[in-house]
Amino acid sequence: MKKFNLICAFLVVALLVTSCKKDETITPTADYKDILSNIGENVILQTYEDLAAKAQNLYIAAQTLKNNPTSANLEGAKAAWVETRLPWEQSEGFLFGPVEQEGLDPSLDSWPVNVTDLNNVLLSNNALTAEFLDQQEGTLKGFHTIEFLLWSESSNKQIADFTSREFEYLVAAAEVLSIDAQELYYLWKPDGENFIKNILDAGNGSQVYISQKSALEEITNALIIISDEVANGKINDPFSQQDLSLEESRFSANSKADFTDNMRSIQNIYTGKFSTFGNGKSLSTIVGEKNSSVNTEVLQQINVAIAAIENIPGTFSDAVFNNPTSVQAAQTAVRNLQKTLEEKVLPIISNL
Amino acid sequence: MDKLLKSCFIALLLFGLGCRKEDEKTMIPESVMAGGDCTVFSTGPDAFTFPLPNLDAFGVERHFLADGIFGQQFVSAPAVQFGGLGPLFNQNSCESCHVRNGRGMIPQMDNDPNSGLLLRISLTGQNANGGIIAVPEFGGQLQNKAIFGTAPEGKVSKSEITQIVSFLDGQQVTLHKPAYTITDTYLPLSGNVLISPRNAPPVHGLGLLEAIPSSSIMALADETDTNGDGITGKPNMVWDILEQTFKLGRFGWKAEQPTAAQQAAGAAHNDMGLTSFYFPDEHCEGQTNCIDGTQATLDVDDETISLFAFYFQSLAVPAQRNYSDSQVIRGRELFSQIECESCHTPKHTTGVHEIAALSNQTIYPYTDLLLHDMGEGLADNRPTFLADGQEWRTPPLWGIGLTHVINPNATFLHDGRAKTMEEAILWHGGEAESSQKKYKNLSKTDRDNLIKFLNAL
Repeated sequence: MKKFNLICAFLVVALLVTSCKKDETITPTADYKDILSNIGENVILQTYEDLAAKAQNLYIAAQTLKNNPTSANLEGAKAAWVETRLPWEQSEGFLFGPVEQEGLDPSLDSWPVNVTDLNNVLLSNNALTAEFLDQQEGTLKGFHTIEFLLWSESSNKQIADFTSREFEYLVAAAEVLSIDAQELYYLWKPDGENFIKNILDAGNGSQVYISQKSALEEITNALIIISDEVANGKINDPFSQQDLSLEESRFSANSKADFTDNMRSIQNIYTGKFSTFGNGKSLSTIVGEKNSSVNTEVLQQINVAIAAIENIPGTFSDAVFNNPTSVQAAQTAVRNLQKTLEEKVLPIISNL
Repeated sequence: MDKLLKSCFIALLLFGLGCRKEDEKTMIPESVMAGGDCTVFSTGPDAFTFPLPNLDAFGVERHFLADGIFGQQFVSAPAVQFGGLGPLFNQNSCESCHVRNGRGMIPQMDNDPNSGLLLRISLTGQNANGGIIAVPEFGGQLQNKAIFGTAPEGKVSKSEITQIVSFLDGQQVTLHKPAYTITDTYLPLSGNVLISPRNAPPVHGLGLLEAIPSSSIMALADETDTNGDGITGKPNMVWDILEQTFKLGRFGWKAEQPTAAQQAAGAAHNDMGLTSFYFPDEHCEGQTNCIDGTQATLDVDDETISLFAFYFQSLAVPAQRNYSDSQVIRGRELFSQIECESCHTPKHTTGVHEIAALSNQTIYPYTDLLLHDMGEGLADNRPTFLADGQEWRTPPLWGIGLTHVINPNATFLHDGRAKTMEEAILWHGGEAESSQKKYKNLSKTDRDNLIKFLNAL
């Protein structure tokens, strides 16, 4: 942090010294519609469509487990949770719009789990339905509640440990997650609430983005926000305090995948591609034109960050105590990416 | 979230602005820098989320810690982390109501779980400090949520009446007035409870408002309308818990809180059920539905509560936009001409604040922070300290043009009744009635110009 500020002071001074030398020439504003539509249609929308499909699979897997409680079906439900977690984490590089405005983020991904309330719900005789959970806080539903039910706090839950109430809770929570994911997709898509129109029509009738630049700034800032969240929240909190109760996906030991998928979310937006979708027109196109070495640096740093996270041996929980060097290296790699996005990419976008 | 470099960049932008040619520089009105050195240049949905660009390194670090806490969801005690929620509450995190630090969303249906609006309640009369008299078994605020197994106090029901207003030129607009009632209470609620709906206001720039010297605000007061302009301006004097004395109220819809810290602690206490050194007892203390697992300890420690306050204090203000647009310039003239400025005082100078970045700034919040009689149409008829049932504190207007960019579902006024700024203007009664009538008599073009100016703030 302090280092950043030094750099900042340095830049300010440097700018003061150099910036008043010559008149700025006014360049005509370019049109970024193709870039915005590729990001919106091929990355954001496709990610949400995938999330909705995977969440539906998770709901089916939860029902299968409830109807036929076998170890194999428990593994199937766990695998479905991990599968669903992937597009969600890959959507965290664009946590703006409907996910933030409609109470969906808390409903899908609240943390921590309200364990005290959850145990009281299980002990009660409330009908465990989607309607019931719909009335509860986000901390009693969503990814981490489902994770808690599937794995338990000790992460070694066996099929024999489940109560029938837990199965019912699990199915209801998976149903709500599926409904939320469908809703999120619906709010974005053109034949739904069409939030995507705000991105496509930025600076041209959009209620949210008064210019294409402000849409691109939002998209860029969201990348900075998630890189910061990974480096200084998700990794830093449990690591700096040596306290695993601050580790978000610890029951499922999915933290490393959470982190790499967050990095891939940045990669998807930055390179304008998701899975088999996208034509590559994106922030990378703009940055590449303005300063190709910065573009190369970003692309490289994303890969380095992914590799550094994957290089953490074993689980993140274990490495926090037993391999601090590898955790430190992963954190540094993500921070380097964050720094480049903040110091080099955002200024390019803001100066469009 | 780490916006350090972002704020650094904004500082750079600022320098960039300072480096234009002399003749160009003089054309930038001072008011563009709405927060003085505490101004940021953002027009996007994150415009209210930046730290003060002139904050020192330690302050920036604290700001980001506070940012995390502001977004943190709390859970029922006992909990490994972030316990202490409730037992009765309105929402489980600050951000749930103050969406992206902006306005909340009023209920879209009965007992809407995502709403950022709450109901203050009381009985007629005043307590020993001049504050409200709590409703037995309900307190001073209705909590419509509770930890599992505890009965919430009741539900919020909403109905609406509409009325049509005509302009001098014949154009008409429909106004909506919500009526909030309390249903499904856990115990019978007496029929003569005073109810005041309060929508979550934006939280940016509170530090700067705190840094305006009391004497400057007092100097604007004219309780008996000695100058005969029809505008009074009354300071609310409210109880300061730390200093154990009456202080000038600045925050809240009726200026019922004297400091950002007490405002923050009060919100944590009443809205989330978090006890702290300011409010060591649960707000529901003594109620039959107040079963709390942690009565022996405070839910949040002193550091956490001071972080809540620091977050408010260290949020920057977005710059005014489109200042050279001819419609905006005309709107600015009209704002003055129809006497909006009588209460929405454009300019203030801050004094010395413990956060150095806030000190000695020339700012443009457009508020006098004083109470005014706004007429029967807006009245909640629920007095608080010196504020009577028709009086409200002038809310600041800086950043108001970004309201819908930040939260498309946001609405204006204390109970969120106004979907547009025009509707909000049309609700101005009492002391503001003459300005409101003048607005109605403007041509369509000039009405649009005035709105355009407000949108540029």
